[in-house]
Amino acid sequence: MGLAQNLVFGLVTGSYIAIAAIGFTLIYGIVNMINFAYGEYLTIGAFIAILTVGVLPLPLPVAAVVAMAGGGLVSLVLARAFFTPINDTGPVPMLLTSIGLGLALRNAIRLTAGRSARYFDTETTTYRFDGLPELPVGPVNLLGDLFVTSQQLVVLASAVVVFLVLHALLTRTDVGIAMRAMGDNESLARVRGIDTQRIRDSVWILAGVLAALAGVLVGVQTNVNADTGFGYILQILAAAILGGAGSVYGAIAGSYIIGLVLALSAAFLPSGMTGISSAVAFLILVVVLLIKPSGIAGQEVREA
Amino acid sequence: MSLTDRLPEDDSGWAFLFGAGCVLLAALFALTPLVASVPGALYVFIEVGILFVVYGMLVLGLDLQYGHTGLVNFGHVVFFAVGAYTVAMVSAQDSFAGISLGYPWPLALVAGVLVAALLGAAVGATSLRLRDDFLAIATLATAEIFYTLFVNFRGIFGGNTGILGVPQPVADLAGDGDTTLVATLLLFGGITAFAFAAVTRLTEAPYGRVLRAIRADELVTRSVGKSVFTYKMQAFVYGAALAGLAGGLFALYTGAISPGFFTIHVTVTVWIGMLLGGASNHRAVLAGLAIIMGLRLLSRFALDVAPVSADAFASIRLIVVGMILVAIIRYRPAGIWGDARELGVDS
Repeated sequence: MGLAQNLVFGLVTGSYIAIAAIGFTLIYGIVNMINFAYGEYLTIGAFIAILTVGVLPLPLPVAAVVAMAGGGLVSLVLARAFFTPINDTGPVPMLLTSIGLGLALRNAIRLTAGRSARYFDTETTTYRFDGLPELPVGPVNLLGDLFVTSQQLVVLASAVVVFLVLHALLTRTDVGIAMRAMGDNESLARVRGIDTQRIRDSVWILAGVLAALAGVLVGVQTNVNADTGFGYILQILAAAILGGAGSVYGAIAGSYIIGLVLALSAAFLPSGMTGISSAVAFLILVVVLLIKPSGIAGQEVREA
Repeated sequence: MSLTDRLPEDDSGWAFLFGAGCVLLAALFALTPLVASVPGALYVFIEVGILFVVYGMLVLGLDLQYGHTGLVNFGHVVFFAVGAYTVAMVSAQDSFAGISLGYPWPLALVAGVLVAALLGAAVGATSLRLRDDFLAIATLATAEIFYTLFVNFRGIFGGNTGILGVPQPVADLAGDGDTTLVATLLLFGGITAFAFAAVTRLTEAPYGRVLRAIRADELVTRSVGKSVFTYKMQAFVYGAALAGLAGGLFALYTGAISPGFFTIHVTVTVWIGMLLGGASNHRAVLAGLAIIMGLRLLSRFALDVAPVSADAFASIRLIVVGMILVAIIRYRPAGIWGDARELGVDS
């Protein structure tokens, strides 16, 4: 397989990691916690979409919207129930709580959905919109022997749309500007009359929406089981820290770096060693923490 | 001087006496023709008991790191795993997969403790200056890196099969299975008691006061001239070495190891035990661990009467475990027997 083909894989992986990592880094920057249960939000989003497609049945784009709404709601409810009450106890109790919550959520999903992998029904995942040219299912020949599947195009396009919408949200809307203000200096933001609790809630909803979308896109690419989200959490974490915890644009950059490293390490490592590409991602995480713990564009994380 | 004057006066002394008694009893079972017979219903108690005393060494080390020094090590399982893998690779003979050198087991055990301590020093040297939650992430990522290596490097670590053919010294001495179980429980229990005596002695000395001062306020501790980093490093390496010893003993008990023994669940179990009992109190963390492992025991019996499958039951148990962790932090942040004032938390 050619280098270019691996670059495509890297960009696709980077795209859904990026969508998830933005939500993760917003929680870090504004609520000031590392949410280890965040991977489970991806799984929940993917399962909501798969259920919507399979049971109702609604077309995939509608199901994705349902999943995003569900993800936002779940994220807000969980935050209100578990994280908001201990907001002022510091980062370690928050992290430990999220680890306990993640364990419970993962097993609750396993209890209800079972252990087996779930797929989208391929009938409903053909992307047909009235008035628009039909997207072909299966690989599209781009250049020479370079193939991109329509699913991969959907992931890449979704990522671009998310980045644009998010950029507009953070720079043009009151809520977005308030989020950035809180990320910079919370007490100053409060003094200036920002309702910090309301902004926190908005962040939780936004993060849940993004995680659910990332989960749906993972589901479009491959299958999903109860452990899918947990499998991504360290990569999301690595991307967020590489980009500088708290920085949205850094998280996007970090995600594509992680995605490309994963894809390229799979290409260059001898066969049979491909399983260690996740170790490579964690190694990047540790190395970044050691050399430049504030990441590409982040806040200070070392103690004085 | 009467006999009572010779009795120990503190926890550490009593633990040492208790440990010596356990080891002597274990030796009695292992070295003499004395045999134990365990009723079938009690097997599960003894097996969970052995796991409890092994995890007990982990929780004592972790409590030295977190409870006393405030180091948030969320990759504790890696030192346990590295100790076990080192012992297995050095001492195993004719393993199906992976390295098996076949050296004597005492040498392997020493190597296991040293390698775990060295890894602790390496992780500590690089990560101890990080902020609390980032230290947790760095250690957790380290544990995941090693887990991935264990699974993927078949030629070295035996992949998913792990390493077989590890010598089982207690089983060889004791002869039959029941006696082995009893002797192992006593021997490992004795070693955990020694570990308890050692960490208690350490933390009750002025040394322990420095550790707690670091946890309470690092800046103040530094300003009175203590090298904070050196103390943190020592506490971290002691904990890692103790975990390595636990891992090595575990390998010599099971006779075979595989990555499945060393998942993040070990870290979570030990952490919950510590927080539930009350960090910074050695007796409390062991009691907390006993509660959380008692739940495991209870659930094995409940499974027989519960109207759900074993799979569903395992999920329910982990939901309960996760919720216990959440509940302790929210409602009892100092743990059941912890001192809230000492830990500096509001409860």
